[in-house]
This record gives sequence, C-alpha cells and structure tokens, in this order.
Amino acid sequence: MDPIETKIVRGTKMRKDPAREACFIVADTDDQMISWPDWSEQSKRERIHRHMNNEMTTTEVAAQCLADFPDTDWDLRMELARQVWDESRHCMGLYRRLKQLGGRKGEFPIANFEWAVSSYLDSVVGRITVMNRTFEAGTMDLMAFIPDGWREKGNDYQTAELLDAIAADEIHHVRFANQWVHKLCANDKRNLFKVAQAVSYMDAAQKALAPPEGSTNLMGVSVEEFSQTAPINVEDRRLAEFTDDEISTLLRQHDLESLLEQQEA
Amino acid sequence: MTIRLNVKQRAAAVGTLRFVSVFLMETIARWIPATPEMEVKMLLSRQVWRMAQQADRLGRRARELRAPLHYSRKPQANFAEALKQLASISDTADRVDAFHLVALPVLAEQYRAYLAETDKVTDEPTTMICDQALLEIHTMIDERSSWGDEIPPSRASDSDALRKLKRAFAEAKEMVDYSEPATRAAPLAARA
Repeated sequence: MDPIETKIVRGTKMRKDPAREACFIVADTDDQMISWPDWSEQSKRERIHRHMNNEMTTTEVAAQCLADFPDTDWDLRMELARQVWDESRHCMGLYRRLKQLGGRKGEFPIANFEWAVSSYLDSVVGRITVMNRTFEAGTMDLMAFIPDGWREKGNDYQTAELLDAIAADEIHHVRFANQWVHKLCANDKRNLFKVAQAVSYMDAAQKALAPPEGSTNLMGVSVEEFSQTAPINVEDRRLAEFTDDEISTLLRQHDLESLLEQQEA
Repeated sequence: MTIRLNVKQRAAAVGTLRFVSVFLMETIARWIPATPEMEVKMLLSRQVWRMAQQADRLGRRARELRAPLHYSRKPQANFAEALKQLASISDTADRVDAFHLVALPVLAEQYRAYLAETDKVTDEPTTMICDQALLEIHTMIDERSSWGDEIPPSRASDSDALRKLKRAFAEAKEMVDYSEPATRAAPLAARA
C-alpha cells in the first residue's frame, strides 16, 4: 500500500483514516476517547455517536472492497453492495436518534480502528474475514445484550428497537462472509494463507493498540472497566452459519462450553 | 414488422449498459471513504446498491442473449473517456452533481435510445429492465435534492469540472460499440 495511504499507530502500520468532516475529532486508541459507564444523557448520546461512526466505517470498508477488488466474483460484490446500503441506513438511523436526544455530529471523539485494520489488507477474503466474520460477529455477540441494557438501564425503548433492527441485518453480513470465506478457500487454497495472514495481522494490531494496564480515557474512566465484551451469541452465530465446531471453539476460549450444552438441551 | 436490433446487437447494448452501471457503482463506492461529509457518504451508499441491482439484472439478461453471464462490454472510446473524467472529480458538490445530474441523465438517455430501437415483443425481458432502471434513475436524481438535510446544494452555475464533463458526454454521442459481436460463452469443457 502506498505510504500516503497508511498511518503508524504504536508501531503498527494501518490504513489511514477515511475522510471525516472537520467537526469530528478522530482518535486512534481508546484512551483518546470519551465514555461513561453510567446511563446519563451524555453517556447515551456518546454510545449512539460511537455506534453511528462504527456503522459509517463499516459502510466505508464494504465500499472500498467494491472499488479495490473489481475482479471479485459478482455475487460477492452484490453482497458487499447491499452491505454498503444496509450500513448507511444504520448510520442514518443512529444519526436521527442522536439528534432526537439533543446530540450532534462531532459531539464526542470517534475512532476508525475497524477501517484502519480491515482496509489495510490487500485481499477481499482477508477483509471479509476481519471485518465481517470477526468484528461484525463480535458486535453480534454484544448486540444480544445491548438492546436490553437500553431498555432496562437506559429506560429508552426506541433506541433499543433501533439497535435490535440493526442487529438483525448484521447477521446476514456475517453469514455471507462465512459462506464466501469457505467458498473462496475451497476454490483456491492460497486464500487460506490470506485468511491466516489477515487474522494474524488483526491480532497483532489489537495487541499493539490495547490500552496499557491502568489507563483511562479522556474522562478519567478506566478503559478496561468500559471495554465491551459479551458471551458468545450462539443463536445468532448459528443463523450466521458458523459451524458447531467453530462455536464450540469460541465457547472454549471463553470458558463457556456449558452454554452450548444448555442450548442443545 | 421490422426488427432493428438483432440478438448480437442487443447483447452488445446490454453488456455496455452493464459496464457503465458497474463503472458508476465503483466510482461512487470509491468516493464514499474519500468524501468527508457524512450525509453525502450515505446518499452515495444508497446509489451504490441501486447501480449494483441494475448491473445484476443486465448481467443476467446478457446470458439470455447468448453472451456470458454478467457480460460487460466497454463503451465507445469517447464515452469511456467521459466516464474517466467523471471518476477524477474531487470536490464534494461536484461529485454529487456529476453523478446525479450529469451521469444519470446520460444513462437514462441511453436506456431510452435502446427502448426506441429494440422490438418490444421479442426483447421484452430487456425492455422491462430498461423501464425499471429509468424509474430508479428518476428516483436517484430526485434524491439529489430531496434526501437528507445536509447534502451540499448545487452551485448557481456549473464549476469548470462539471462543464468539462458535460461537454465530454455531449461529444461522446454514441455509447455502444457495435463493431464486434458479443462473445459467446465458451463451452464448459473449454473453460475447465
């Protein structure tokens, strides 16, 4: 990749940020962000603002795939084109909600980590492995719980419904990536190497950008305290066509195999 | 009864319309990360999906006209040059206008020209695709001014880039190159 298209963050080379309006402050790491663990009005707006930008970056990753890989199988390009539209609708839905809650674009810092990692990869199979099959699948796990948080702790049913609608769309984005990663690897074994390379790069980037122990964000909130993790969303991962073996492996990594047994009972 | 376009010519036109649709889809897709304004990104994202669907329908129809599935055919050189000029535009308002107010009307004109030439009975599957594309193009052009509150308005007068682009399309005149027949799909055995 042309050096003009890249940036280096904590020693890791990544793709330079996509264009943003001047109102946005673009951060590289979590300690440059703002967030609160409570459900105050500003905390709600920050959560929506952050999610809105994440949807924008996913739109951009899919769009850049269409531009960068013109020789990709047409049926995969159709999936990516549809994803561009879906993610943009998500972004607009969140922007509408942000304004309803009195927020504005650029009210909080944003980060484009998923773009910077995914779009640095030079193969479509690498990008959908990282963006759809890893980052979006991770969001799918979180989204099994986040809407309930908005209902129960945030007392905000409208945002909860919006997020639930977004989560339903994301399942297909993960599913088509699963289908195509398998298909592309079956058609050409060299793609297995590209997938392995992509996952290895993503792991290294995540480690490099992980906040040092004890670090806080710009509001003095512990970054570790706020980092979002969730148990594996077995039901949606099945809908997204992860195999039982893949789900079991993930559950083992999270020490949660009993969850699978419960689902099967 | 006069059938003016034969099957090979229909395939050539369908393949060229598909080429242009894919080119436009790729161009606006490339603009999405490179354009700062959020609502412009979102507007272009809607149109990416619409252009993809048009290309998809044309690509499937190509096969029914003895061309390969998703057959794409380069337009005439001058028309291709105008497309390249479109892709090189960098200003946000110009990009929005170049796509919605220059390229889409040109594409609509090409669909109408095809409808005027072809036989509406034997080529009805293509005419249905053209009719649907024209409706969608109308919607997209309308969205230039009606969708989103933050899309930069058109300038009172055209910028240099837009003037040059309009001139390039006007000079291109013909889009479809009928000089060589559409390639038949190779037999499966030959492709294996």
